[in-house]
Amino acid sequence: MVKLIGALMILFSASMVGWQISSYYANRPVQLRSLLLALQMLETEIVYGLTPLARAFVKVGRRISPVIGKLFLLAAELLREEQAQSAEEALRLAMERHWPQTALGKQEKDVLTSLGLVLGSSDREDQQKHLRLAVTHLRGLLEEARAEQMKYEKMYKSLGFLGGLLIVILMF
Amino acid sequence: MEFDLTPVFQIGAVGFITAILQSVLKQAGKEDVAHWATLVGFIIVLYMVAHYVGDLFTEVKRVFLFS
Repeated sequence: MVKLIGALMILFSASMVGWQISSYYANRPVQLRSLLLALQMLETEIVYGLTPLARAFVKVGRRISPVIGKLFLLAAELLREEQAQSAEEALRLAMERHWPQTALGKQEKDVLTSLGLVLGSSDREDQQKHLRLAVTHLRGLLEEARAEQMKYEKMYKSLGFLGGLLIVILMF
Repeated sequence: MEFDLTPVFQIGAVGFITAILQSVLKQAGKEDVAHWATLVGFIIVLYMVAHYVGDLFTEVKRVFLFS
């Protein structure tokens, strides 16, 4: 009886591990899409609204899904409290703090970092150009993430379960 | 004399799981990992079989050589 309960526990935890990894692949396209949306809103705020960056970050951060929105809210807070000297530094610090909670990878971080170098330090047209460039980059990454999701999401789920089953049978 | 069938089922189950694992990995486009998984499954089964063959060998020695 105890043996059976232990076997079920191992099976359950191994399945959960696989499920967790597959949820990373499922979350990445969703978060990428909201990041894309955020950059497009930011473009509107900068080019047509002429909103100061700190306020634009807050506006954007409140309107998109909380996981990504938190990033912008954090950057805005850093700017408002003058813990960061520039928009680039604020965005970088916010990314450093918040990145592990998102499902996004290093490539997205690079895109945002290079965008941060331009934000708030050049004129409207130049910022618009760079925002468009970042959006294009992210679109490519989104396609990639979707292909990866199709490929790996199911695989990791069944891999976790089968791995657990293998361990159980070997120890039984 | 009773005969314990557990190891037979165990080996069969390991083979079964290895087969599913291999097909899942192959479907996801990871052929190289699939090959490794098959190899690992084979080694596990081989290890178990070697264990029982070793038991058989000592049994034969005990019966025929009186040692």
